[in-house]
Formats: sequence, C-alpha cells, structure tokens
Amino acid sequence: MSTTARPTTPPEPMAPEVVSREGNSMVLSMGPQHPSTHGVLQIMLEIEGETVVKAEPEIGYLHTGIEKSAENLFWTQAQTVIERMDYLAPESNALCYALAAERLLGIEGKIPDRAQTIRVLFSELTRIASHCVWLGTHGIDIGAISVFFYCFDLRENLLDLQEAAGGARMHPNYIRIGGVNGDLPQGFLDRFDALLEKFPGRMRDLRGLLQANPIFQDRTIDVGTLTPEEAVRWNVTGPALRASGIAYDVRRAFPYCGFENYEFEVPTRTEGDAYARFLVRLDEMEESYKILKQVRKRLDTPGAIAIDDPKISAPPKETIALSMEALIHHFKIVSEGFRIPPGDAYASVESPRGELGYYIVSDGGNRPYRIRTRPPSLYNLQVLKHIAPGNLIADLVVMIGSLDPVFGEVDR
Amino acid sequence: MPSTQTPSITGLATDPTSLRADIGDAEVRRVDLAGLRALMEELHAQGYSMLLDLGAVDYPQRTPRFDIVYHLLAMPVKASSLAEVGTPKRLRVLCGVDGEQPLCPSVMDLWPSADWAEREVYDLFGISFTGHADLRRIQMPYDWEGDPLRKDYPLRGPARDRAPRPAFALKSNVVAGAPPSGRTLEALQAQVKAARERSARENEG
Repeated sequence: MSTTARPTTPPEPMAPEVVSREGNSMVLSMGPQHPSTHGVLQIMLEIEGETVVKAEPEIGYLHTGIEKSAENLFWTQAQTVIERMDYLAPESNALCYALAAERLLGIEGKIPDRAQTIRVLFSELTRIASHCVWLGTHGIDIGAISVFFYCFDLRENLLDLQEAAGGARMHPNYIRIGGVNGDLPQGFLDRFDALLEKFPGRMRDLRGLLQANPIFQDRTIDVGTLTPEEAVRWNVTGPALRASGIAYDVRRAFPYCGFENYEFEVPTRTEGDAYARFLVRLDEMEESYKILKQVRKRLDTPGAIAIDDPKISAPPKETIALSMEALIHHFKIVSEGFRIPPGDAYASVESPRGELGYYIVSDGGNRPYRIRTRPPSLYNLQVLKHIAPGNLIADLVVMIGSLDPVFGEVDR
Repeated sequence: MPSTQTPSITGLATDPTSLRADIGDAEVRRVDLAGLRALMEELHAQGYSMLLDLGAVDYPQRTPRFDIVYHLLAMPVKASSLAEVGTPKRLRVLCGVDGEQPLCPSVMDLWPSADWAEREVYDLFGISFTGHADLRRIQMPYDWEGDPLRKDYPLRGPARDRAPRPAFALKSNVVAGAPPSGRTLEALQAQVKAARERSARENEG
C-alpha cells in the first residue's frame, strides 16, 4: 500500500516578516477563529513560555469595501450599508452619517425637536445594547458564563424597541437625513416605560455578578494599563480614554442633537486598567438610563419628526394617495435621490466605542463622492500591540475584551 | 455599475473642498507636500496631541490628484476633568499629493496611531509613506493587485465564467454539456434501482 506524498518542507508562517524567531521564543498565530477575539482578529504572537514578547494584530478578514459601496449608492441608500459597519450600534453610525450630510446641506439647525429627542433616545438605547454585548462576551472570556444570559435578555428588550420603531431588529435604518423615518408607533411608550422600570434592577444584577467578584478582579485589575499620555498618543477614545482619566466625551465636547440640554455625568477613572474600563462602561449604562428618563418626559410632547422639506425627507407614505406632489416627491427621492451641494464636512458622535466620525465629500451629485470613517474600534485595537508585550496570553484575552473592538468597523 | 433605473447625477465639482462654504466643523488648513512635515512638527509642538484620523480622497480630474486628510485634536495629555477638556481645538489639514505612485512623508514618529491609518491609505489608494516602519497592506490580501478606493478602480470585477450546469443528457430544456464520468440519467436510474432492490432484500432477510 503506497503512502500519499507529503510536502517535505513545513508550511511558512503566515506573515514571516512580522515576527522573528530568535532565542527561546516561538511564534503563535492566535485567531482568526479564536473565540475570544470577538470576530475575526488574528494576532501574530512571539512568546517566551506564556509571556508575550511581541504582538502584531492582523486585521482585514472582514473587509467588505463598505466605503467603496457607499460611493456608488444614493445619499439615502448609503445609510443602509453604513449601519452595517458597527453592527452592535447601528444607530450611532446612522446618526453620525446623517449629521455629516445635514452639515453639508446646511440644515443642521432646522431639525425639529421631537426628531432630535428620538435620535437621542436611540443613540442611548443602542449604547446600552452594545455595552450589554460587551459585558456578556467579556464575562465569557474570563469564565463567567451566567452574566451573558442576563445581558442578552436585557439587550433583547432594547432590540424589541428598535424593531417596533424601525421595523428591523439589528439594522432598523430608522434615523435618516433630515430626521427620523416615521413617528414612534402606538404602544411604544408603554414598552419603553416597562423597560425603564426593569433596567435598575437588572443593572444591580449585572453589577452584583461581577463587580465585587474576586476572580473577576484578579483577572482585570492592573491588566492592560494605559496612562493618559499613552492613550492620547495612540488615539484611544471612548470608555478606554475615560478610564485613563481624561473626561473627553463628544456629547459634551462637541454637542449634537441637543445633548447640551440633558443632565448626565461623564464617568471617569484614573487607573486605566481593564477593571477601570469595566467600571466606566457600567457607569455609562447608568448615565444612559438617566438620559432615557429625561427623554421619556420630552416624548409626551407631539411634534414633527423630520425636516419640513419634501426634497430631502419624503412626506408620510399615507399622503401619496391624497396629494400629487407627495407622490412626485416620493418618486423623485426613491428613483434618483437628492443632491447635496459640493463641499466636505466632518461630524462625530460618541458611539459606544468612542469617537465615531465621518468625513464626507460631495461633488454636488446624488451620490456621496467619498465617505471616510473614523472608526473608534480600529484605533482602540491598535493600542494592543503597545500594551500586550510583557503580559501573559491569558491577559491578552482580557485586554481585547476590555477594548471592545467590533470588526465590522475595524475592517469595514 | 449604475443601472438605467438609478440615474447617476454626477456632480460637476472637480475640487469640492475649494468650493466649501464655512461650516465650522473644524479649522481648515491646506498645505503643499513640501511644507507638510514642517507644519506637522509645528502642530505637534503646539499641543495637537491626538491625530484623530488620517484618510485620503481621490480627485482624478484635478492636479494634484489625491488629498491626504488629517484631523487633529488638541487634547490634554494628563488626567483632566470635563471642564479642563472643554471643547478641544479640532484642525483639518489637507495636503495634495500627485503621481501614479505618490509619496508622502509619514507622521508615525509624531503620532504612533498613524501606523494603521497610513497603512490603510497605502493599501486602498496606493500612496506610499516615506519613513513608515512597516508599510504593507492591511485590509486587502498581501498579493492583491490594484488600489480599490481609487476612482478608476471598478466596483465589481469581470463576471465570473458561468460554471457548467449539471446537465443530464436526456433533459431537453438544459443545454447538454459533457456529463461527469458515468453520471448519465440512465446510470443514476440504474443505481437507484439497485439500491432499492438491495434494501428490499435486506428487509425480507
């Protein structure tokens, strides 16, 4: 019986130029299918025993060319692909894109109050939902399974609200250029009230499961420490920056959607380690809850939910049977979109992961000329190669979890 | 490829940034390639401690063809409260680069976060950065050809050759190709028949 021929040389490491093989160290490729990498992150590790000497993250496994696709869609259609970048916080992406486009259109100050309130509502709901996924998966990475179920139960309630308003669970495409797509449906406020009632107790559960847990503390305290100088040099934003002591929050520094009229704190810590990031995110969820309670009061006031300009925001669907102009406007927006005057603009929002920004360029046509994303996950993840060396592989898992990257956004 | 049902209204502006009315989203400075490095060093010394973002835009009708877009933020580099951070100064620097293989000085030594951003511009626009320690593709595979975010790069590749359909010789509505060895309709029918007979025998036995 003949044996099948085997290649005589071992396969080359995937990126041999990245890490060298010297002394007692060895090269380990972690991922891209490793469960703790939260998607498709590959890290080329040079290790001595279990200590990381050098870490080089390899990204791009989820690259889908969203920026290129968006250049070939209408301004309104581009929103659908843009929501798919940060798939855990779609409303943040949609909001930021809409703000940038509105800036170019010059209608920034004309968005009705109720539309702004609804935007705030969804940007905070999506923040809590995203932090729920982070907390659940971070817990699983460390070995605490049960917290995952509590988190996803709460997230499901939040997604139900998204579905009620926008019609889809994950990518509702509800925030549009000029306002939002339709008013909140009947019965929405009752469900919202029920959620607000449930939230504080569930938050106590989440804190109770992990915050004082000695195993969790042992795994996260003094792991992946970032000083404020390092965080700024490496362009880290969001909860990771605030856990290092710098109270930079886009909602306060460059207010949008009337965030200057809401009362909330910007939680900060000074330790800068994974445990500090954990505490900052938990505090943030409670601050979001405070904002939601203020939103609830304002939602009682009825009002317009989109800018009064049928060239940009299509009139309500039911009017097309009654008014010829409404039908024409609908047809125009669906069949050829609208044009945006030439120019470039940058707008940013505080997404759950940090400063999410869009630099958009219009050449005066009905499609975006260029959409450049400032992805918070990309820059937050980049710091990993700075903080990983000298730590154990097991701590690397904690660091990835505490930076909370989303690969739809890192790779786009 | 835009279809006839979705008309593309192409804008006429070949250089939109020059037409822009003041929006007030950031202070804007335009610099030529020769002065870029000196300006960046000056800005870094002035306290623009965070390189918020680095990207590029392709304007094929214009000379210079590409714009590198830097967004800088003047952030305090020590632990600071909300009041101390305030509204940090935001600055956009636009720098034109030209040529088929454009070159631009790297700012990675000033802001280490420029590393991946410059690699991404190199990957998707084909703009090289002199002084970058580790310039290689980041999103696309290492052996990819072309620069996907350039305007002359097509949205879709050529249509793949249609795979031959699984054709049975006796079906008249399918263009008959050469069937794989032995997989004619008769051969399949014979196999099914044999299998049925075998199972019937086993049931009896």
